[in-house]
Order: sequence, then structure tokens, then C-alpha cells
Amino acid sequence: MRYGMAFDYELCINCKACVVACKEENGIEKGANKHRLWIDSDDLEGDYFSLQRSRTTFKPVKQCQECLHPFCMPVCPVDAITKGTGGIVMTDAKSCILCMKCIEVCPYEARYVDDKRGFADKCIFCSDTRLARGKTTTACQITCPAKVRIFGDLDDKDSEISKILKEREYSQLEYGNNQPHLFYLKPLKK
Amino acid sequence: MVYGSSSSLFANHTTTSFTYTFTTKTSEKDAKNIPYLCNICRNKCAGFARVEDGIVTKLDPNPYFPKSRNMLCPKGNSGIQALYDKDRLKYPLIRIGKRGDGKYKRVTWDEALEYIKNSLVEILNKERDNRSTIAYCNGEGFEKEEMIRFFGGKIGSSNFLDEGSICLNTRLGAYLLTIGTVGEPDVGGSDYIIFAGSNRLESLVTPDSIELAKKRDATIVVIDPRCTVTANKADIWLPIKPGGDLAFCLAMTFVALKDKLYDKDIVKKHFKDFKEYKELILNSGYTPQWAETKTGIDAALIEKVARDFFNAQRPLFHPGRRSVGSRNDFQFRRAMVLLNAMAGNINTKGGIIYGKPLKLPHIEVDEPLYSNSKDRFDLEGIAYGSAQAGSWINFRKRVLENTAPYKIRALIARKHNIMQSIPNISKTEKFLESLDLVVVIDTMPSDTAMMADVILPECTYLEREDLAVSFNYLEPSIALRNQVIKPMYESLPLHVILKKLGTKLNKPLFNVSKKFDESLKEDIQKFGEREAFKRGGYDLVELYRKTLQERNRDMIVSTYGTEAYKTLKQKGVWYPNMKTYRKKIFNNSYSYYPEDKKKYRTNDDYTVNCKLKKMEKYNLDPFPLWRDEYDYHVPKGMFRLITGRYIYYTQSATSNNEMLRDIQSTNHAWINNSVAKRLHIELGDLIEIKSSVSKIYIKAYPTNKIAPDILFFAHGFGESSKELTNAYGNGASDNEIIEDKIEMVYGDAVMNETNVSIRKVGS
Repeated sequence: MRYGMAFDYELCINCKACVVACKEENGIEKGANKHRLWIDSDDLEGDYFSLQRSRTTFKPVKQCQECLHPFCMPVCPVDAITKGTGGIVMTDAKSCILCMKCIEVCPYEARYVDDKRGFADKCIFCSDTRLARGKTTTACQITCPAKVRIFGDLDDKDSEISKILKEREYSQLEYGNNQPHLFYLKPLKK
Repeated sequence: MVYGSSSSLFANHTTTSFTYTFTTKTSEKDAKNIPYLCNICRNKCAGFARVEDGIVTKLDPNPYFPKSRNMLCPKGNSGIQALYDKDRLKYPLIRIGKRGDGKYKRVTWDEALEYIKNSLVEILNKERDNRSTIAYCNGEGFEKEEMIRFFGGKIGSSNFLDEGSICLNTRLGAYLLTIGTVGEPDVGGSDYIIFAGSNRLESLVTPDSIELAKKRDATIVVIDPRCTVTANKADIWLPIKPGGDLAFCLAMTFVALKDKLYDKDIVKKHFKDFKEYKELILNSGYTPQWAETKTGIDAALIEKVARDFFNAQRPLFHPGRRSVGSRNDFQFRRAMVLLNAMAGNINTKGGIIYGKPLKLPHIEVDEPLYSNSKDRFDLEGIAYGSAQAGSWINFRKRVLENTAPYKIRALIARKHNIMQSIPNISKTEKFLESLDLVVVIDTMPSDTAMMADVILPECTYLEREDLAVSFNYLEPSIALRNQVIKPMYESLPLHVILKKLGTKLNKPLFNVSKKFDESLKEDIQKFGEREAFKRGGYDLVELYRKTLQERNRDMIVSTYGTEAYKTLKQKGVWYPNMKTYRKKIFNNSYSYYPEDKKKYRTNDDYTVNCKLKKMEKYNLDPFPLWRDEYDYHVPKGMFRLITGRYIYYTQSATSNNEMLRDIQSTNHAWINNSVAKRLHIELGDLIEIKSSVSKIYIKAYPTNKIAPDILFFAHGFGESSKELTNAYGNGASDNEIIEDKIEMVYGDAVMNETNVSIRKVGS
């Protein structure tokens, strides 16, 4: 089993329902810099009368990409970072010494310091909340008004994510051979 | 979220002693999931509330509800914060200081109601039982009808006001008067959609905006002076001068009439006074070139949009959803609905739907006829108006200027923060100060609550069951708000409050009528007092003999059977054949009705009224026409102020929400980046914005998404109540500086006709 998430991000309206749902589901603390995911927003080029508009202004990129070869894992001096079920990169809060190395090395700015539990937290696909209860959806995915996020098992060829990745062109935010498990579907409408 | 006992009232923060956690991680365990309906905005999305050890830990979307299509927006997700807001109104309070200074004492429910009773008896004695001296209002939301039945039907006041006159009554009225329904736009079924000034991807998430967000198989045209998210995502964005939308529609009509692009069969079958309209438009010279001077939009583009619209298979000029921008708003909506009708998209897929809502019969109760209760006055001089909404600005004006035919002495305000929502706040303050009694029923210590003599704490939507509601025309369903947890503190649901109040007022108010009401006196002589009371329908608690839960059960079971009721309790939503109709499509999306069961075509006999003769009596145009006074003008060096919303906030009701503050901390004034540069204004600089009414201070957001002569900032900020610890002093309130102008068809506030000057005051 290999969990992944695809983004039909052309449809994203930057409402951040995903951010709020994630915070509520996973007990994330207060603070605009305390979040497991965030939507980046591009400025538009041009002046008012020649504005370069775009359907892909909003990019759900700041989120753990669940790399096959994560940058964070090898740099952890206390081996707090391991691979869990479905390839999810897990961080043991108790072992973490907050040396910040994993935060610094991640090119996706996926991690932040959870002051409550004192560790470098990040998205784990709701694996200790929703998935642990037998749900097959993440909080961010189920709540999305435009249904931008498609989550599932990449190894299951009948899963919705497998189907959509077969059907649609996509790109990935790769750095070398890290092999992320997040996929960005190519926009269908110009 | 864990709360200890709090013995303090809000006026005394120092002794408040609850433990508060921002969010509570959901556990691995199974928990209770209770279906509820959201109340954060107008849409009323359905959700399931997860309750663990008595604490609501998560709100999840409800996949059964066609209206919210298995989603919750950021505001809906933040509903937990409304429930556990530390600043909530917790106990009944009576004012001990001056109005507005926030000094209150905690009292029992009985003490609060006793105060209201004494005050109302005194007021009605003074006004010789003219019940209309007690005005009452209720903003958008469930159980508004209960307020109307109690204060209008039973108490006998004709002065009810709601959010309609500061919202979109012109749009509702224009559709209703022209095609006989307010209609429902079928965005999902359309292949060419024009949105004018309606920011459907940001203002609030509704079925049409969900369809729009997902839509790839249509051409989307957005007309807006601001490059909103909706405009940014559109195929065509037409920046327009504020108030020019009517000119745009008239030019589209001109093109369609001149080149006979309209659906001739439909016009022949359904239109009244079409010939007169046609001649008037063609003779008025509403060419695209003419419209270019009024809108700033290139004539060729106007012409192209007109042709593409009429050539599309299923074109839709979206009716819009926003407060009234300009004084010609009614005429603009009229021209637009006539365009829709001319294109043949009424009563059909992809167009404006009559549909077939599910019926829900309410219990009838007798309502007394008070001989001395006088008619409302705020709609005098208004062409149509709505007695179910009134005209706030006119009402306030007549009271303040003492030109009302009788004195308004009391206001009962429920879920209506009028201090924030009506243009020119200082006038609302003076209006409230002029009253003998102000009672506020709400969940939060809003700016309006701070003007109250008595505050009655209502529980939030997660703590109560409300009467079931029928939703939607195209894919109709019934939904039920179930109680998730018991009311916190001493807050109560409205129907319990009204029952308590009714019990308290029953005899004393009847005794006032006995003194002044001649026909009641006759009845008493004829039948005796007890019988006259009963026959006349004076019993204020008649409706509440049964609990709300019992009323719901009776209403649903008698109409749709026990299975429907059971489903509503378990799933929150019910409609005929839900089990077989509802199908999973892909990625947590569902189809709710099979295509052939959707209520696309339900009214083949509809009539399209081109002419509204009644308008002539009010010196208004019976056909949508342009008048010179509609021309856009901003004096040199000044800006036109326009207002709107962030997707993260619902008016002022969410201003204190801890989570939403986390996402969007404050509001900023959008100013054109080139202009800002010239004025040495940078991001975050404090600027003063001044109108003829007042001035405000706000941080600047220089951007290329707004025209050089326009200024925008979002509504829902700048509260003055110190009891809203997150919202107090945060950002600025648009209504502080918006001039209180109305349009004359519905008496609606005109929000985008205020010119302002700006000045940098700090960096």
C-alpha cells in the first residue's frame, strides 16, 4: 500500500476549508504559521488594464509530499522519522529533539514546530485520526467545496487516485530522486 | 475544548476562569456523529458533528444534502469556534451603565423577562395599545418565522425588519415581478454564464458556486470592477464602472432586438408588452457604443458577449447574489431577467428554474386583531417594498427625524447586528438611543447587543433543534438541524425563550388591550374575559404548547411519514427516493437526482412581464431604462468605495471567530498599485478613508486587481464592542463611512455609491 494525493488544483478557489478542517481534525494549535498544509497564491502580472489572469493562481504545494526518499529522514539525529503504513513519513514526537534539521532540509516547507507536543509536525494524511478510525478520506479532502483533492492507495489500480493519474496528465514537484507522492493534475481548461 | 465553570459575566473579564484549547484532536475511537445544519452563512450546509465526551471535536460535511454537496467551507469548519467562543453571551443581562458602554449585571431569566414585561406594559399604555410601537427584527437565519409569528402575529406589531433591505431584495423582487419566481440558477447545466458583480467563488459557498468552481464545460464571463477570485478564474473578465451593469444589459438587449437573436417562439408564447419594450430599447439608442461610455467596456466586447450569449445552447445571466450596489439595481436585475427570458432559458436546464420545492405545512394558530395596532410606515413612497423585510434606512430615518406617524418605543433584535450592517453607523446608534427599550437576543456581545437594555443569550446552532426546512427548487430536499450538545451556560433556544416571554407577557399585555381596545371590550362583554381571550387568539404561548421536537415530528410524519422523520434524525436530510436517487460519482461527490427526475421544467405557462405599470405611479420607469443620474462620476482626487466579502468571513457574525482570524487576520483597503505608488502608500501602511459620513483607519493593500479610481475593503470588521476580544478594533467597518442612500423600488440600501478621499497616516 502506498498513499498518495492528487490535486485538481485548477479548481482551487483558495477558500482554505482544507486548512481549517485539518486544524480542527488534528488538533493543530493556533497561529497562522502553525499548519500542516497551506495554499500558495501567485500575484498576477500586469497592470489593472492588462492583467494576466490565470486559473492556476492557487497552488496547494505547502504540504508534506510523502517522498519515497524523504530529505528529512536521513538528517534526523535521533531517528525520530520513520516510514509508516502506506509509506507515510512519520515523526515520533517523543524522540524529536527539535534540532530543526528536518524543517530546514525540506524543500516544501512542509514542517512546523508543534509547541504543544514539542516536535516537528507535518501532514500524515490524518493517519492517526481519520484513517485510524477506518475512514478512507482525509479532513482536507472531504471538506473541499471544489473537490480538488483526490486521496488513496497508489498501489490499488482501482482506487480513484490511480484512475485519475492514468486518465490525466500530471506533474510532480521533484527534487532529484526523492519521488514525492503528491501529484498535480494538468489543467484541462485554458 | 474544555470548559470549567465560569461564574463571571462578560463585563468582568478578570474573574473569567475557563480552560480553553483552540482545537481538540479527534481520537481514534468511534464517537457520536450527529447530523446538524450549519448557520454560519445563508446556505445552511449540512454536516455531521463529532462529539467526544460531550465535546464537539470536529464538523464533517454531510454527503446526503443536495444543497451543500458534501462540503463545508472554511467558515462552516470553524463553527466549533462559534460554539466555544469565550466571549459568548452566557447569561441574561440587564444594562447598568449607559447604552454602549458595556456595563451589565447578570440576572436570572425571570428577572430579565420581568424587566421586559414592565417596560412593554408601560410603553403600550403610553401608546394606547398601538402594538406597532414595538418594532422587531431578525437577520438571516432559521426561526425568523417564529419571531414573526410571535411579535407580529401574536403581539401584533406591523414593524418587522430583516436583512432584506440591506441585502438583495431588488434582485428577488425583479425576478418575482417579471417571471413570477425568484428562481434558481442552474449553473451546472449552462454552457455560457455571465456573472455581474456577483463574486460567487468568494462571497459565500452555495450550490451554484460549487458548480461554478468545478465547471470546465462553459464559457464564464465576469463583470466586476475588481479582479476577484471569480473574475480571475473566468474566461472573460470585463472590468466595469460601478453601476454600469444596467447599461451593459441594455446594450445586450439592443443587440438581441436589432438582430433578432432572441427566441421568437418563447417571446410570442410567454411575453407581455414585448413590442413596447422592443421599440423603446431600439429607439433609446442603447448601442454597444453608447454602453461603452457608461461602462468603460469596449463596445466590440459588449457586442461579442451579447452574440455569444444568444448563440449559446444554454446561456445563463446569473441572477446575482450580493447587497445592492447602485440605485438602478432593480432595473439592472429586470433587464437581466428579461435577457434570460429572451434567450429562452426560463424553466429549462441551464437556466432559471421554477422547480418544485417540497412542502412543509406549519401549524396554524389564531392571531388577535388589535384595533389600535397601526400600519407600518417605512414603505411609504417605495414602489414595491417588502412587508417581510421593510426598509431599514427609511425606518431609521423616519424614527430619527420624528416623521413617523406614531412613536417607535421598543426594538426586539434577534441575530441582527444592525449597528454593523446598516450604512451610517452613527445614525443607527442614535436610533437605538432614542428607544425606551432595546432587547437583543443573540449568541455574541455584538455592537448591537452593547446598545441593549436587556440581553437574552440564545444558544448557538449546534446546541438546538430547529424546525425542519425545505430547500431548493431543482433538487429539492428537506433538512433538519438536530441538537448536537445541550445549550451551554444559561443560553436557550429561541422557542424556549419565546415560551418564557409569552408566559410572562400573556396577562399583562392582554390587560393593556382591555383598557384601550373597543372591540375586545365588546367581546369581553359578549363572551366573558376567559372566552374572549381564547377566541381572540390572545394566548401568546399557544404555539409552544408542544415542544419544538414534537412540532417537528408531527409536521414531518403527517406530511411524509415516519420513515422520512427517522431519516431526518439519522441523516439530517430526506427527500423522496433518496435511497435510490442518490449515487456516488467520484471523489466524494454525489449526484442527488437522476437527470430525468430533476425539476428542470415545471411551469410551461409562465408569463414574462416586460412592463411594470405600477412603477409609473412612483415616477419610476416601467421598463428598464437608463437615466442620466445613473452616470458614474468620481470627483478628481477621490475614489469610489465598493464593498464585498472575504470567503473567510460572513458579515459581522464571524468577526470574533478565532480560527478565521488565524486564516485572515484583518481587512485591508484595496488600492490600485500605481495610485498607491504615486501617493507613497505601501502594503500595511495605515490610511484614513473619509466620506461625507465619517472616517475610518485601515491598512492598505496596493494591488493591480482594482481600478485606479476605486477603493475596496471587505465587510465584517471594525467592531466597536470591547466584549468581542478578537474583533474589537480589528480592521475597519465599511458601514461607518457608507452614505445612507436608498433605491426607491424596495427601499434597499445602496452600498457602492459613496465617494471617498484618502490620506496616508502611518507606515
